Amino acid sequence: MFKDITLGQYFPGHSFIHRLDPRTKILAVIIYITSIFCIKSFLGYAVLAAFTVLCVLSSKIPFKFVLKGLKPIMIFVIITAIFNLFLTDGKILVRWSFITITYEGVRLAIFMVLRLFFLVLGTSILTLTTSPIALTDGIEYLLSPLKKVGVPAHELAMMMTIALRFVPTLLEETDKIIKAQTARGADFESGNLINRAKAMIPILIPLFISAFRRADDLAVAMECRCYRGGENRTRLRELKMKKGDVFGWFALVCLVGLIVLANVAYGRINI
Amino acid sequence: MIKLTDVSYTYMTGGPFEKAAVSDVNLTLNNGDFIGLMGHTGSGKSTLIQMIAGLIKPTSGTIEIDGQTLHSKDCNMRKIRFKTGLVMQYPEYQLFEETVFKDIAFGPSNMQLPDEDIKRRVEFAADLVGLAPEILEKSPFELSGGQKRRVAIAGVLAMEPQLLILDEPTAGLDPAGRDEILCKIKDMHRRLGITVILVSHSMEDLANITNRIVVMNHGRVAMHDKTSEIFKKSEELQKMGLAVPQITEICEKLRAAGLPLSEGIYTVEMAKAEIEKVLKK
Repeated sequence: MFKDITLGQYFPGHSFIHRLDPRTKILAVIIYITSIFCIKSFLGYAVLAAFTVLCVLSSKIPFKFVLKGLKPIMIFVIITAIFNLFLTDGKILVRWSFITITYEGVRLAIFMVLRLFFLVLGTSILTLTTSPIALTDGIEYLLSPLKKVGVPAHELAMMMTIALRFVPTLLEETDKIIKAQTARGADFESGNLINRAKAMIPILIPLFISAFRRADDLAVAMECRCYRGGENRTRLRELKMKKGDVFGWFALVCLVGLIVLANVAYGRINI
Repeated sequence: MIKLTDVSYTYMTGGPFEKAAVSDVNLTLNNGDFIGLMGHTGSGKSTLIQMIAGLIKPTSGTIEIDGQTLHSKDCNMRKIRFKTGLVMQYPEYQLFEETVFKDIAFGPSNMQLPDEDIKRRVEFAADLVGLAPEILEKSPFELSGGQKRRVAIAGVLAMEPQLLILDEPTAGLDPAGRDEILCKIKDMHRRLGITVILVSHSMEDLANITNRIVVMNHGRVAMHDKTSEIFKKSEELQKMGLAVPQITEICEKLRAAGLPLSEGIYTVEMAKAEIEKVLKK
């Protein structure tokens, strides 16, 4: 039942993108997201689309698998598009009784859809090609300058690692509990909202209890191995920037450059 | 009668982690039998019984229970689920109610039975698994592990299923608790005349109480026969990584040493009788 979620799932591999340093990838995604919102023209989005396609191709993850991540946000995207389409003022394109569609509305709706799609695609490329451990290592490293002002970077990263580590476990557990209660004749599909909410109780209570039990067990297990937080802690795998990362940064600089060019061009000619 | 035709199940179809758990299983199980299902970890036992209980749909193939095809249009899945009771692995983690009584009553009240009927069933099921009446008013969370397990099993029994499936009901219990639960299950099978499928990878458990055994290996049915016949093939079983009961192993060794014992001995009583017979000659 929960086995088909792609968002935030790791797709193991050894491609160029997989081997990039997680710090490179995290910063790249931040730059990528910023540029999504800076683009002013379709030309800019074309550049971004080409970059995204190149990334997916070099990651060797099947396109179908990456696109599956878009499915859960579809309704959200459609609603956003409809709002932008009908509620934007400007040059009127179509008028039919109380509905008016403007040129600016169409443009904005398409932009919004593109932005949301690229947002999800960009972040899914990051999570699909980076193992959760590498991801949190990268985040810890990037946050470590903030340690000086009292941000517990290591603890935050550890909390994230643990949370990510337990997502599949808890999903599996939920699946098991749902099956067990279904076998006892629990009915989750029929009835009104209140009845359906009530039907969740036999799932939520065992789930909470097991989550607390797991947290307790894990805390004891960590204590037993003398875990004392980030102080003086060394790591098995040190993060190291490699040649590939230089190339990655070069590609990223090219992307930003092209987007800036596209924006400048948009100021001169209107596409 | 349970009839499985070409049943297969694949996890995460199409993804990078695609894995066939059960492939091309053909199996016919008769009503009233006490069936042992064994195979080592990852052999597809749990997936198979979840399909029989109607919780997951086979990727291909059909399952018929008493002439009704599961997941077909004219089949009421809820009714089928009331007919089959499934006790999953570590069932004590599904307890959620305030009192033991309410928890055992969860199944029967989902069946929308009248209150007095529910009360009768709860008391009957509690008695069957050996829970004292005063425990019924306690919270399930203050009980010991073994007692919780029994409450969970009672919760399934209270639905009075005609087919009872137990997935490793003795996992994680001490030997005394294990023997007691197995004894209760055997007793239930005798008293209620229901069909029981017991999943286990412990030969010792299965040898004593089942009359038929299905052996799974790599998602396929490797053997399906009477219990006594299965243990004659101890060499094949060991090749699949399954241990035969210790007493079978001893008898094999005795026979190899020249003692003319018959094949397929799997309980201590059988061995005793056989050895006495041979020695008297």
